[in-house]
Amino acid sequence: MYVKAVPPTDLNRNTEWFTYPGVWTTYMLMVFMSWLIVLSLFGCSPGMAWTIVHLSHFLITYHFFHWKKGTPFADDQGIYNGLTWWEQIENGKQLTRNRKFLTVVPVVLYLIASHTTDYQNPMLFFNTLAVFVLVVAKFPHMHKVRIFGINADH
Amino acid sequence: MITIPYLTALTTYFSYGLLFAFGQFRDFFRKIFDWWHASNLQGYAPICLGLEDFYIRRLYLRIQDCFGRPISSAPDAWFDVVERYSNDNNKTLKRTSKITSCLNLGSYNYLGFAAADEYCTPRVIDTLNRFSPSTSSTRVDGGTTTVHTELEECVANFVGKPAAIVFGMGYVTNSAILPVLVGKGGLIISDSLNHNSIVNGARGSGATIRVFQHNTPSHLEKVLREQIAEGQPRTHRPWKKIIVIVEGIYSMEGELCKLPEIVAICKKYKAYVYLDEAHSIGAVGKTGRGVCELLGVDPADVDIMMGTFTKSFGSCGGYIAASKEVIQYLKYTCPAHLYATSISPPAAQQIISSIAVILGEDGSSRGAQKLARIRENSNFFRSELQKMGFEVLGDHDSPVMPIMLYNPAKIPAFSRECLRQNVAVVTVAFPATPLLLARARICISASHTKEDLLKALEVISKVGDLVGIKYFPAEPNKQHQEQITMKLE
Repeated sequence: MYVKAVPPTDLNRNTEWFTYPGVWTTYMLMVFMSWLIVLSLFGCSPGMAWTIVHLSHFLITYHFFHWKKGTPFADDQGIYNGLTWWEQIENGKQLTRNRKFLTVVPVVLYLIASHTTDYQNPMLFFNTLAVFVLVVAKFPHMHKVRIFGINADH
Repeated sequence: MITIPYLTALTTYFSYGLLFAFGQFRDFFRKIFDWWHASNLQGYAPICLGLEDFYIRRLYLRIQDCFGRPISSAPDAWFDVVERYSNDNNKTLKRTSKITSCLNLGSYNYLGFAAADEYCTPRVIDTLNRFSPSTSSTRVDGGTTTVHTELEECVANFVGKPAAIVFGMGYVTNSAILPVLVGKGGLIISDSLNHNSIVNGARGSGATIRVFQHNTPSHLEKVLREQIAEGQPRTHRPWKKIIVIVEGIYSMEGELCKLPEIVAICKKYKAYVYLDEAHSIGAVGKTGRGVCELLGVDPADVDIMMGTFTKSFGSCGGYIAASKEVIQYLKYTCPAHLYATSISPPAAQQIISSIAVILGEDGSSRGAQKLARIRENSNFFRSELQKMGFEVLGDHDSPVMPIMLYNPAKIPAFSRECLRQNVAVVTVAFPATPLLLARARICISASHTKEDLLKALEVISKVGDLVGIKYFPAEPNKQHQEQITMKLE
């Protein structure tokens, strides 16, 4: 019922909240809740609802993890202004547990979405594109890489 | 170690997620709105880039009335809080001329010197008449008066070091001294929960910074070994200097530092120790000499001792105490000494007089009484709060006690409800503390009487029930009685 919280050694307040207990569970619960909400709002089939959840998850996480740079605090004085949130977590150390978890979540969502829609086009095409972009963006080799200079300015 | 109920952690993340989502929505619509209406920037770049002020605009301004409340009297045990109101949903706050007298649980008034004192105030007024409020000069030009030299000797004697140097502002003491002590090619290892002044000073110094887990000497040893083995970042040459920075009492946790182990490790690996005693000097220890006296560490083992006069001495400014050679070097190089105005003479006299009271040199035992009273008050308050079921952090004997709130909505609820019942508390949230761990921080003073503490306990208990922050089961009174009878047997 109680968990112990050890203060992490990360000085970046934008990302150190991710190392505390309960984040993973909250993330999965929020995805599940949004599926229930989409299902009740649109009245569509469960597969269509999972596709909608998967695609909006793609848009939201791509925007906040891989597009927006810097931190929401002015007293960091712009030292992280060139780094996206994904590049900031855990001081840029690759292949940690948190990063592996965040890479697996879109893949699991993709599998659920494509299974419940019976692998039909056009949903399959969009789902595959989404998971491809997200997983490639999280590769260790893509750390600080800006393709064609897109999003390279501060 | 903080123990969070799991469900509270989940709801806290969810609440912050919701606040973040709302903020992003409002920003999105604001961007569309502004694009629609032309801007009058005329080619100038905007002051804030994109995300930078998101936290201030969308989260902090919503509960702005809980922070920065103006007061209109000296910060004694009871003080006057000015009432404010807002017409545009907390974006701007307007002061009224009405004041409410509230119990002060937020000021760093550990020994009660913040209000007029029978020994200190006449001497301060006397110095004010002799010397005038400002020296109008830097220390090296014309700003060193007899009061300043007396103050430096006094501080050095009190702390137990050969010499000391005094600055006009506590924050500046850390942020201007660290760049002078270490430069590029040096290594600073600081505790993960160190104060912002230390972080800024370390960043400004140009040295490499490594962080070790809060108050964990084993992790400090691991980091030291790793860094000494690796050397400087690209050249792998040995480090020019290694400084380990810790604080005496961590102001957000109320915890004492594990000084004996840390000093032992630093001696083994030949690193310097820098101890920031902002909250512990004057407040802990048998004669008030700080955390070294309390934990039995010889002051000669700590290379540089830093402290501020704001907390226990009722004044302003900071000091550094070290060996004569280091202080002489600092007097030649530190910009805060060479270019900043020296500490105001009446403020310096207040420090000298309050140290005299603490040591008993004024002929009375008020100093010893104050020290005993703050110890009793803190221990009583903390144990009562823990019995009621609150989660209170901090070690035994520490006058700082944070009560954990966790959820962002409980912060303004607790703060406003307590103010309505005439108790003023300080609440601290992200980013001064980690995201999950918002808290209300209580600072006990020697000028709080038993009735004040009982009233505070009653109000906090009532508000705690309303807001729902009693995360641990409350100990019933019968169990307490049983424990006492068993001990007697």
